Amino acid sequence: MVTEAVTMADPAGLKAIGAALAVGLTGLASAYAERDIGAAAIGAMAENEGLFGKGLILTVIPETIVIFGLVVAILML
Amino acid sequence: MLKPKQMSRAVIVGHKNILEETVDALHKANLFHIEDFNEDGSDLKIGKPLEGGSEVSRKLVKIRSIASLLGVKEVAVAKQNPSAVCSRLDSCLDTLDQELDVLVEKKRLLEADLKELGSSKKDLLPLINIDLDLSLYRGYENLVVFAGHVKENPETLVSRITPSYEIYYDQHNGTVVLFVPKDKAEPVSEMLAGASFKEIKAPALDGVPSKLLADIERKEADINTKIEAVDTEIDALKLKYSDLILASNEILSIEVQKSEAPLRIATTESSFIIDGWLPTENYGRLEQVIENATDGRAFVSEQEITKPDIKIVPIEYNNPKVVSPLQEIMNLYGRPTYKEIDPSALIFITFPLLYGMILGDMGYALILATLAFIIKKVVSSDAIKPLMNILIYCQVSAFLFGILYGEFLGFPLAGYHGQPGLIPGFETIDLFATPFAGEVVGYPLHRTHLIMTFIVATILVGLIHINMGYLVGFINEKRKHGMSAAIFEKGSWFVVQLGILLTALAYIGMLPIIVGAAVFIIGVGMLLKGEGIKGPVELPSILSNSLSYTRIIAVGLSSISIASTVNAIAFGMIWPPGSPIGAMTLFAIVVFIFGHALNTALSIIAPGLHALRLQYVEFFGKFYEGGGRKYDPFGYIRKYTEEN
Repeated sequence: MVTEAVTMADPAGLKAIGAALAVGLTGLASAYAERDIGAAAIGAMAENEGLFGKGLILTVIPETIVIFGLVVAILML
Repeated sequence: MLKPKQMSRAVIVGHKNILEETVDALHKANLFHIEDFNEDGSDLKIGKPLEGGSEVSRKLVKIRSIASLLGVKEVAVAKQNPSAVCSRLDSCLDTLDQELDVLVEKKRLLEADLKELGSSKKDLLPLINIDLDLSLYRGYENLVVFAGHVKENPETLVSRITPSYEIYYDQHNGTVVLFVPKDKAEPVSEMLAGASFKEIKAPALDGVPSKLLADIERKEADINTKIEAVDTEIDALKLKYSDLILASNEILSIEVQKSEAPLRIATTESSFIIDGWLPTENYGRLEQVIENATDGRAFVSEQEITKPDIKIVPIEYNNPKVVSPLQEIMNLYGRPTYKEIDPSALIFITFPLLYGMILGDMGYALILATLAFIIKKVVSSDAIKPLMNILIYCQVSAFLFGILYGEFLGFPLAGYHGQPGLIPGFETIDLFATPFAGEVVGYPLHRTHLIMTFIVATILVGLIHINMGYLVGFINEKRKHGMSAAIFEKGSWFVVQLGILLTALAYIGMLPIIVGAAVFIIGVGMLLKGEGIKGPVELPSILSNSLSYTRIIAVGLSSISIASTVNAIAFGMIWPPGSPIGAMTLFAIVVFIFGHALNTALSIIAPGLHALRLQYVEFFGKFYEGGGRKYDPFGYIRKYTEEN
């Protein structure tokens, strides 16, 4: 007779994995979005230094994604 | 405060024969921002430079080239008398120029020689171990000479082709010199090609390579001493004339500025018109200055500021001295325009406040404040000082929040439910429980144990900050486009938020849901009228902007984590409490210092950038336009010479 090993995942572990995914994936998403904006902003700044403020703002807009991820992760744990 | 300085537009008119006196007086007063004149097809023409301008420019070019050749750096020196500088300059500019030219030319020739020696040295090096006079490498009728690099000694291969040969092989460098009769040259050349022979050209010199090399090296050393001597002479010139160069550069720059001023103003055949701006408070002084300089022959009149003018009014901040460092943060984004509120005074409060909320550690605050004070004292640059002042403001706030949070370099000062704190006997006092995850608020506030409460609290901070932005936006809008535009464009946001609040109250059963929904819809309607379709599209920004303030706790927690990890590694793992003092203690201290040094550096970057972002994106986004021109008066701030 074949016995099937029954294993149960620890819910706390799954929660931790979920939290890690929330932070990790949103972090990657922010990085991916900021990559192009940042490069373009530096380019614009090389032409005109006065664009620093606007460049910084545009660059950090996607950062909110990872902050949301972090909040979700904290709420999960 | 809250508004840029009030400006006036003034026009100065006079006869051309008093132009020079007028320009002189304006330059000295350093308060009039000249509006450059562009020819517009009317009879007014751009003026011609004052007399003597080209001579001054010539001297300035000369003095600047001398300064760059000598490498004169801007340093603080005692101020000099301008006329003394001028007479000294006239007497020695040409001799200095010639002297320097001779020295620079001498150095250039020496360096060219050095380069040449270097290249012949490079040619010699492969042949250095072959003790054969270089004159023997050439001039044969019946012999062919092969000189070059090979991988291994080709002697056996050569001996198979011909018995009559002469070979010199240097194993160390892999160099071979081979003499064969002319009629055997072809097979030998083929054989060598097979042995990966790479030809080198023997230098056209006479003598044994090793002796030649020694000779070259001696010459090199000789030239180097000569170059050093020239350098010393140049340094002596620099030392002798450095103050003169700095001072005369300043005087000549001023003269050039003055003599070129007519290029910026309108003239007719016999009169000139200088158009420009100045702070209204200085208007009387301008009249006085012009009156005194021209005996009342030039006229100053104030112009009305028309609507299109408002866009080009130069902006001068009008803030108390304590707020002025924050103007750097404004400049980074763009100066305010003439009609809008200058938020420097607002970010004077909010920027350090948010920074402190994020960092909130007494230890780091003390370290960074000390660093800022030291840098401020040591570095005399005008660009660094305001930044250091901002850093100090931020550290004051961080220290106060450090007291509130009870944190010192990542250690909790107070004990918390059995875990000991840094100060023995100091226990956390529980005050009340919050509805969020049963967390208990007390003193000090342990951020690591009050995460949910802090998330809610930071969102509230965000809402207050954002609404402050809407309020300023409301005032700006009212000033620019009137009350109704302000109500629809900015006031609608308050209505929308009120609607959301009422709906939330309905959710907990205090109100019928219809009330909240109705207010919300009215708000959206107003927004649609005020901002068009762009308004409702931006609605979710209320949520995303206020949630964005949770970074205050998020970034703060990451800073605590790094600090407490460093502490745990140093005093938990490497040198646990109670173990004897020894080599490990030292190691633990090193880890402690480096870890916290890293975190201190991060403590400027992370909270600083995040606090800045909250100002620029979440706060300024609600009201700020920016893009004002800098008020840049015609004049010069003298550093090296006295005023006449």
